[in-house]
Amino acid sequence: MPLTDLTTPPAAAAEAAALLDRLDQSFSGGFARLHGEHLDALASLGRAFSGTPLAGALGEALEGISRSEFLDRHFLVLAAARAALQGAQHDALAAQAAGALGRAVAKPEEIPASAVQAVPPQIEVWLESVRHWLMELGLAGFANLDVNTLLPFQATLDQVESEPRLGRHAALLGGFLDELLTVFPARGTPEFPLFRWADLWSRAMVLSARAPAPAHTYTVSGELRILGADLRQHETFATLVAFGSLREKGKPARLVRATISAFKVDVIQGEELGPLLADAGATLLDGLAQSKALQLSDMALTATGDLLWSDKAAKLGAAFDPLAEAAEVLKAAPAARPSLAAADRHPALLEELVYLAGYKVGGKEEALTITVDGATLPLDHDRFPETDDLALIEVKACSEMVALLRFDADRWTLQPLLVGGGAKKKPKFIGASLGGGKGKKSKLGALSTLKERSSKLLRKKS
Amino acid sequence: MTAAATSRRSVIRPPSLARPRKVDKVPFVELYAGRLQGVVSSGSDEDRVYVSYFESGSGNFFCSTNNNRPCGGLRGSPCKHLQALMTEAVLQYGAPRLINYLSLGADPATARAAYDLLRFIKGGPHKVEAGMVFSRFLTYLHHVGLPSTTLPIPEMNWFVR
Repeated sequence: MPLTDLTTPPAAAAEAAALLDRLDQSFSGGFARLHGEHLDALASLGRAFSGTPLAGALGEALEGISRSEFLDRHFLVLAAARAALQGAQHDALAAQAAGALGRAVAKPEEIPASAVQAVPPQIEVWLESVRHWLMELGLAGFANLDVNTLLPFQATLDQVESEPRLGRHAALLGGFLDELLTVFPARGTPEFPLFRWADLWSRAMVLSARAPAPAHTYTVSGELRILGADLRQHETFATLVAFGSLREKGKPARLVRATISAFKVDVIQGEELGPLLADAGATLLDGLAQSKALQLSDMALTATGDLLWSDKAAKLGAAFDPLAEAAEVLKAAPAARPSLAAADRHPALLEELVYLAGYKVGGKEEALTITVDGATLPLDHDRFPETDDLALIEVKACSEMVALLRFDADRWTLQPLLVGGGAKKKPKFIGASLGGGKGKKSKLGALSTLKERSSKLLRKKS
Repeated sequence: MTAAATSRRSVIRPPSLARPRKVDKVPFVELYAGRLQGVVSSGSDEDRVYVSYFESGSGNFFCSTNNNRPCGGLRGSPCKHLQALMTEAVLQYGAPRLINYLSLGADPATARAAYDLLRFIKGGPHKVEAGMVFSRFLTYLHHVGLPSTTLPIPEMNWFVR
């Protein structure tokens, strides 16, 4: 596996990055106060899209913004252009990773649409509020935000959070608003992550373009073996993403992804996430925590290889060895793997599942590297979750790993999900403490205390 | 990594993270709109809660029941509810972050306990509507009751801790 091919990112991705850097300067000071270099950057963006389907709309939007015609439609097109640049980067990077790993590029399947559902009118209204708020952020500029721009959005966010169809919006906007509020109110010139916030802004804008359509799916049955999981969270939302092999009768193994998420509050962390996530997929958590196969019967699978998890369609089966399974299915990974829908493509969302045997950890404490087969890649410190289930010391002590190959800040990194082999007999992995309802007996008891308060007060109120 | 590369980062572990704590006595603590504010349970009446806050900059503070009845313990200095709020805030956010947020004169290198921070609260009692803080608490509680979901949420790739 020539991971050495991943030491330099593709040239096309770097060119797009330079264009993004210039564009993002306008997000800092705000689109209401554009100067020469900002307008030059917008013009370059326009030229980069000439001859593409977005050219006409983008030309109109850039012209409108330059003469202070502030419509949310213009900003939506701008966000779409920024997202399209990152989509192109994603494609170049996905091809590079697939080449290095000797696998085909994963692509969404074609699934015929089922019956179209009518969209409740309030969803359109809420999304319009979201776009309007995002436009205000863009006009003011991230460096110039104040609480008066931020606080009124809470009312819209409450509504978005109450609508299950807007789960993605709620997760993203809740995290974004929370981050903005940790920086503002600020004294003096605040420090903020410009590139990241421009990312979150663009994604929120594109996601809010129209009401989400239900995913196209078909059902699958067979044996699912979870090879590893990632825990992602901000103060008000937690998500567990499990990656596994699925064996349907008479078919070669394929790779799938399953996601369970729950709203939470800041003081709920660690094993207390277990009971919240179990609400969405207790069986999935048990299968992960106990390394037991899961028998699926007629569970929905989307075009992007995502199982729409349902505990009712899953049964806990026999124990298996996740490292042996990973070695077998990831050696020559099938083309049927999780992917991203066209509008969702972004370099930071690439997650290529890999199995590494005989790896070694090197480098300094805050900049560890993983060397395998003569290639060295950085370990992804930022993505290494804060959990006792998997500690860096265990990553160092083991020799086999299931990881996600990631890209961010112009480089490929490895994010360990599960390690084993070497002196350690039992594998260590993210999510091990979330199964079997363990968090219910947590010493802190924050979840049960808050739930009790909640049922008392919110019932009284209504 | 070059300077351009480090600035081109989509995923960054937040520099300041809230920490888990017991929430029996002080169910709600937050840094919001320039205030440290929260809800503190009454020591004597199970059904009564106090709404307390410290304001950044001015150092003003207040404590009342959620029905806007002023706290009896509140005179020229922070009452026991405000002290409890500061104690739990130190657990949740750490002293350095509070010192910075509230613009306190305490030394972030040596201040550890709530007492070290309360000494630098220079303002006086200044009434705000308890309802505003209390409705934040209800929104907060609402989050533990919202339904879970099994939809794919690719956006959570941006959030790590």
